[in-house]
Amino acid sequence: MRKSKEVQLTLLAAMALSMTACREPHRDCVDSQNHLLPDTGCQAGWGGAHYLYGGSSGGHIGDAVMGGSTSVSRGGFGGIGGGDGGGGE
Amino acid sequence: MRRLTVTPRTDWQTRVERIGLTYHTLEDGTPYWDETVYWEFSSFEIDRLEAATAEIQRLALAAGDAILDQDRLSQMGIPAAAAPAIRAAWNAEPPALYGRLDLAYDGTTIKLLEYNADTPTGLVEAAVAQWYWLQDCFPDADQFNSLHEKLIAKWKDLKDYVTTPVYFANAGSDEDHMTASYLRDTAEQAGLRTRHIAMSEIGWDSGHSRFVDLDNHAIQTLFKLYPWEWMLSEPFGANALSTLPPASPLQQYGPRKDRRSWGSMLWIEPIWKMMWSNKALLAILWELNPGHELLLPAYLDGPRELSSYVRKPLLGREGAGIAVVKDGVAVEGSLTGESAQGYVYQALASMGTAAGKTAVFGSWLVDGEPAGMGIRESSGLITNNTSRFVPHLFR
Repeated sequence: MRKSKEVQLTLLAAMALSMTACREPHRDCVDSQNHLLPDTGCQAGWGGAHYLYGGSSGGHIGDAVMGGSTSVSRGGFGGIGGGDGGGGE
Repeated sequence: MRRLTVTPRTDWQTRVERIGLTYHTLEDGTPYWDETVYWEFSSFEIDRLEAATAEIQRLALAAGDAILDQDRLSQMGIPAAAAPAIRAAWNAEPPALYGRLDLAYDGTTIKLLEYNADTPTGLVEAAVAQWYWLQDCFPDADQFNSLHEKLIAKWKDLKDYVTTPVYFANAGSDEDHMTASYLRDTAEQAGLRTRHIAMSEIGWDSGHSRFVDLDNHAIQTLFKLYPWEWMLSEPFGANALSTLPPASPLQQYGPRKDRRSWGSMLWIEPIWKMMWSNKALLAILWELNPGHELLLPAYLDGPRELSSYVRKPLLGREGAGIAVVKDGVAVEGSLTGESAQGYVYQALASMGTAAGKTAVFGSWLVDGEPAGMGIRESSGLITNNTSRFVPHLFR
């Protein structure tokens, strides 16, 4: 016999049932002093505006965002295959 | 071998969805997974396909040595910045998991069409869906398909060498997501802790010079269903190279403290797969083994003596940019347009055909060993993302 004896699935079957969207990373748009800005600040490229990942704040504009890592940037992979293209063949 | 029609299982959509094949139907409503037909082989024919796969793998290994010995990466359109890392990875032999040879087989001759060595898909169909189809419809027949147990066995082999969690990353389509999820499933069944992350979610921590997940934890082992040539052309490409020898210092992995130099991050597939997933490999194989019974004449500088040939972009995917020329006339695809990296010109193969369909036989390897087969059928000669997957058996 050259076929697999058993093909048991655990994770894949659960994935097929859920097909949930990927988790979005928590990020805050902040100014150069790490005070919270509206997201539009980063989208529009306001001076000093940048995203901070993994931080926390009171959630109000102007609040200080604590604990985030400014040294982490994201989005540097996946641009070419981001649509339906994927990357598999 | 022969192609036979059969009544599909009444609830086939539900059945294949349950096992992960959620992308069973094309956008136009026609089936991608097509169990109205199947291919039947003799045991002898499967033996031949398996032996051909092992022999081509042997040729590819020798070609890898030749490419590096003869400094031919630039001829293949591979960026110069990647060359040191490719050379170091080839010598250090970090883990390589899987690949798929696409073969032409007309019942008599077997020829290599291409080697999808870096990001092959069609795996859920080949390893899982057609196995369950066989159990349901022809439980007494056999199938060239030990993919599932070979994948689990390979992950078990790697257990002492990888750092967990092993991350699995992909971008884009459902098919890629389910392929990555299936491989993740096999790793979990081998006892490895895993996590999924989208390619776009991978972070670069410039303070620590390392890739991180969404919680800013270091990613030390990453299976990426994403081509190396794409990664290297994206903003994090240089960062990826910085995690690999010779740029990255020697690292030790796992409880056995293996001393092989794999870099600060273990990438699966390894970067040297850029040599095999590049279609220039086809011309180099022919140059090194002229007249080999499993190879087609193939050239990089033009079609030379060939009047009937297929022109393929060196870095083309899913049939994109391919033109089929018969007796000097393009009969499928177009010869207009330019590929930045260039083309390979490969003689037209004699293909398996039946009922107006052309079949390509995808022969899988796990850890360099033949492991199974999946068949794609097309109306024309070019296999693309609308070509149907049909199951097979042998007796």
